[in-house]
Amino acid sequence: MENLLYIGKDIPRTAEIDKVTGRAVYIDEYKRPGMLYGKILYSQYAHARIKSINTEKAKRLPGVRAVITGYDIPDVRVGFLGDQAVLKRDVVRQFRDEVAAVAATSPEIAQEALKLIEVEYEPLPAIFDPIEAMKPDAPLVHESDARGRPLRSNILPLPWKFSAGDVEKARQESAHIVTDSVTTTWINQCCMGTSGCVAEFDSNNNLTYCGQTNVIFGAKQRIATYLKNIGLKGKKIRVFNPVVGGSFGTKLDTDIYEFICIQLALKTRKPVKIRFTREEEFAVLPPRQAARFTVEQGCDKNGLLTFRKVEAILDNGAYTSWGATTPSVMMLPISSMYRVPNVSFQATCVYTNNIYSQAMRGYGNPQAAFAVETSMDHLAEKAGIDPAEFRLINRNHPGDVTPMGLKITTCPLEQCITTVKEKIKWDEKRGKRNGRGVGMASLIHVAGGARVYLSDGTGIRIKVNEDGEVDVLSGSTDQGQGSPTVIAQIIAEATGFRPEDVNIVFGDTALGLWDAGTHASRHTFVAGNAAVRAGEMVKRQILEMAVQYIPKLLKRSLKQQKKKNPDFVEPVLDYTMVDSPEKLDLKNRMIFPKDAPDHPYFRTEVGKILTSGLHVGVGESKAVVAEVFWDPPTEMLNAEMKGNYSCTYAFGTAGVEVEVDRQTGEVKILKLVSAHDVGRAINPALVRGQIYGAAYMGVGFGLTERVQLVDGKVVNANFRDYKILTANDVVPVEAVIIEDPDAAGPYGAKGIGEPGLVPTAPAIANAIYDAVGVWIKDLPITPEKVLAALKAKGD
Amino acid sequence: MKGYEYHKPQTIKEAIGLMEGLENAKYIAGGTDVMVLVKQGKLAPANLVSLRNVGELLYLDLQNGVKMGARVTHTAIANNEFVRKRYSALPDGAGVVGSRQIRNVATIGGNICNAAPSADTACPLLVLDAKVVIVGKSGERQVPVDDFFLGPNKVALEKSELVTGFIIPAFGDNTGSAYIKHARRLAMDLPVLGIAARATIKVGGSEARCKDAFGAADDASGIIECLEAEGLVFEDVRIAMSVVAPRPMRAKKAEEAVRSKAISEKLLEEIGEIAASESQPRDSIRGEAWYRREMVKVLTKRALLRSIERVIRPDSTAFPNRLW
Repeated sequence: MENLLYIGKDIPRTAEIDKVTGRAVYIDEYKRPGMLYGKILYSQYAHARIKSINTEKAKRLPGVRAVITGYDIPDVRVGFLGDQAVLKRDVVRQFRDEVAAVAATSPEIAQEALKLIEVEYEPLPAIFDPIEAMKPDAPLVHESDARGRPLRSNILPLPWKFSAGDVEKARQESAHIVTDSVTTTWINQCCMGTSGCVAEFDSNNNLTYCGQTNVIFGAKQRIATYLKNIGLKGKKIRVFNPVVGGSFGTKLDTDIYEFICIQLALKTRKPVKIRFTREEEFAVLPPRQAARFTVEQGCDKNGLLTFRKVEAILDNGAYTSWGATTPSVMMLPISSMYRVPNVSFQATCVYTNNIYSQAMRGYGNPQAAFAVETSMDHLAEKAGIDPAEFRLINRNHPGDVTPMGLKITTCPLEQCITTVKEKIKWDEKRGKRNGRGVGMASLIHVAGGARVYLSDGTGIRIKVNEDGEVDVLSGSTDQGQGSPTVIAQIIAEATGFRPEDVNIVFGDTALGLWDAGTHASRHTFVAGNAAVRAGEMVKRQILEMAVQYIPKLLKRSLKQQKKKNPDFVEPVLDYTMVDSPEKLDLKNRMIFPKDAPDHPYFRTEVGKILTSGLHVGVGESKAVVAEVFWDPPTEMLNAEMKGNYSCTYAFGTAGVEVEVDRQTGEVKILKLVSAHDVGRAINPALVRGQIYGAAYMGVGFGLTERVQLVDGKVVNANFRDYKILTANDVVPVEAVIIEDPDAAGPYGAKGIGEPGLVPTAPAIANAIYDAVGVWIKDLPITPEKVLAALKAKGD
Repeated sequence: MKGYEYHKPQTIKEAIGLMEGLENAKYIAGGTDVMVLVKQGKLAPANLVSLRNVGELLYLDLQNGVKMGARVTHTAIANNEFVRKRYSALPDGAGVVGSRQIRNVATIGGNICNAAPSADTACPLLVLDAKVVIVGKSGERQVPVDDFFLGPNKVALEKSELVTGFIIPAFGDNTGSAYIKHARRLAMDLPVLGIAARATIKVGGSEARCKDAFGAADDASGIIECLEAEGLVFEDVRIAMSVVAPRPMRAKKAEEAVRSKAISEKLLEEIGEIAASESQPRDSIRGEAWYRREMVKVLTKRALLRSIERVIRPDSTAFPNRLW
């Protein structure tokens, strides 16, 4: 793995210059001739029967081209459980329910038209607390399921249940046991670019769809199913991305506005754009799944974990998106963070009239890690063991198979913990209880793909043009994570070209091979592995051509020199040095014999070979092209929620030093160290960028951020009241890259998109306890909560 | 967003004249409040009368107190060394409004006329006994800031009247002031509450001996002990609070209770308690009432301590964010 030219280098993100200079075409800038603008009318109630909808006035407004309600489109169910219609016509079950939509010649006119739509509601009893919603006499959010069968309960038919070992027996044998209740709330993903799409049908009702999805083939499939169900079976669909301003989970599912946009385009026969305002982004877009946990853990007298039992209740909101599947990732820390032989986990998803949730960076991991890692500190205290030591005692090891069936390959967790300990000055600062304190938490996350669908694969195509440009068609997407740079580095390394020769097209179903989606921290790993394989094929093809053309070119050149200069003495060359591809290598655009890299005659610029190969006459010409579809050897979770669903797992530890103002309850982060196992950093600057960004999101998750709902309504739908941290709130973050190359990864790399977020919040909570002796296990940790706890304690 | 006419008068007189004749008109200066309301559809003026070209509104006279025009930006106030030293509460407030970009265009007149219960320059002006200079068609009048705020977004202005500036009296070396914004973030945030204080200390020379306490003491009690030991006495005190009532308000009972009293731990606690009893906080999405009341106690004490520090250590420019 030595002598790498581009792997491990801080190659700048030149592909992103257009973004900072305002040239990039985001959905805002994407325009089509005659394009109309769509706007959506949302419910005024958390739960109500729609008595009537009158769109006449709206239709008469000049500039309005279409007004649609649930009565104007086929009554087709969408969503992961098929539990909602695109436009609701009988009952609304949450404030974000889409009741009508308008297409007009400008967004302002469309907005004006919404005000002219008259909807008469009859309020129904609503329910906002999942615990209340589980009671037998609770009002039902849904009277029937997708197939029309009557429902008797608000509990979803999703049996998230996991069990390994014998928890009951282990509990009896434990020396120390703790039980904690932990709550996490709704978090908005806060993408810089708000949601939006443009849908356009041609005369044959084939659809061109410009959307922000990071699962282009999944989205295409969902749209195809929808079109089929509304009577447009077999129509061609092309899904492609504009430049996307962040995803963080929001572009994983196909949102209702996307189907509405398609309906408006169908109705008006024009391209239609829907783009969310920031207020819509907060009030309408599904946030991170909120969860309540009861976590119980035990250890023996030596501090070895004996069992872990976690029960979770998830407020599903009124409909079902990917939020309801977050338990599959909550499983990671619950079953596999540290060695714990006996585990049980159960999650119950409950319908309420609140907003429904979807994916966000880390999926369910940050929520569950907050429960597990704060409980770890609690248990360490009870056992009388330093929390860092407690984690070291129980740490995972390479070669472990966890109760969930995860096969741990590389695992530098010990190094992560000890690095954080040292950098945060753990031993010096801990246990003072003087208003300052330190805390830590660790994480495990998928880092080698994640088989959440039957295929965990990805496809890549590489073609090398005559002039030595390397065009890459990837089935993955780029939502701003730096892939154009990282994948270009990998391809440059594998093919022997330079990163600046590589031109990648992401996110177009018409061009790319199938891909499971750019999610689950999988892109560098999965697309990188495909890229290495395809890159090696390209290189092989070029070297085969070189065997043929290096002697030809050389002989021709020598002949010419002889012709020009009769005194020229032809060198005696050993052509066996270049008579097989195995004897050659290609690096940095130069082909050379492995035994004599600087050979004065055989060393050849790759462009000459490519040109030669392409221009040799009838039947002989060759173009360099390779494609690879790579599906990693991962397993889907079985009915018992067991299986090795990733090739490798990432570990990491965050350490935080805080200062708590005992009179105001304010928490100030003095230092945050985040040490992450990344296998190998393809681009260390970008890895640190991922860690910084994720750590900041973790600070927001821990201290300031929450989507506030009052009786189902989002009441802080703007950046003034949604407290994401600003540039002024800069927290000193030290990102530490721990390298332990993993055999499965491209050049040893693991995924790092999500991990930085996961351990931050529990590390903060643990540090606060160290500083002032109160546990706040209800996120976010606001000054109110800290002060109330301090007062309750008698401080 | 409906269209509006945009008028650009050059003088105060012209502006008032325009306003007099126009229907549904609104003055606009920096626009950081007005345009937000227009975009949100909460304000739909047919006419906007821009003050951007009215040069008469742009002055900052620091001779014998402060006379400043309504169009002075928050940045100009926050960056003025003399104002920072002698009228510290005002730049404390002006320097924490919105973000740097907003402070560069937002004007003090706009912040006061918007009359948000949370306005960051309101409490400072209240404790600095500022007067609002108002010009209307019948001439000029001056109103104490305390009488200017009538309620949320309501001020004592008649139709076409324009706030042209503010007058702050001169204070001696024995006066210090401070404003503490209690917010969740350091930018783009409204305060959960804000507290301003002004302390005028009876001069006697003992204050010089307290200087080191502020520099050296680890926590507030060390400082207060020193102040107590030196027998420092409040000559006059002002306390103002934002967000804890429908309008920024003075804690007049607290002010009265401490006038001419010797500074002590007990007295500072008492001031906080009285101020808290005067406040009428409510639960809102930005903060709970009990917490706001609690913070009135804590921050009143801190704002007063910071004011005293500024009397005793006037040359110290680096004021820590927290005293402990």
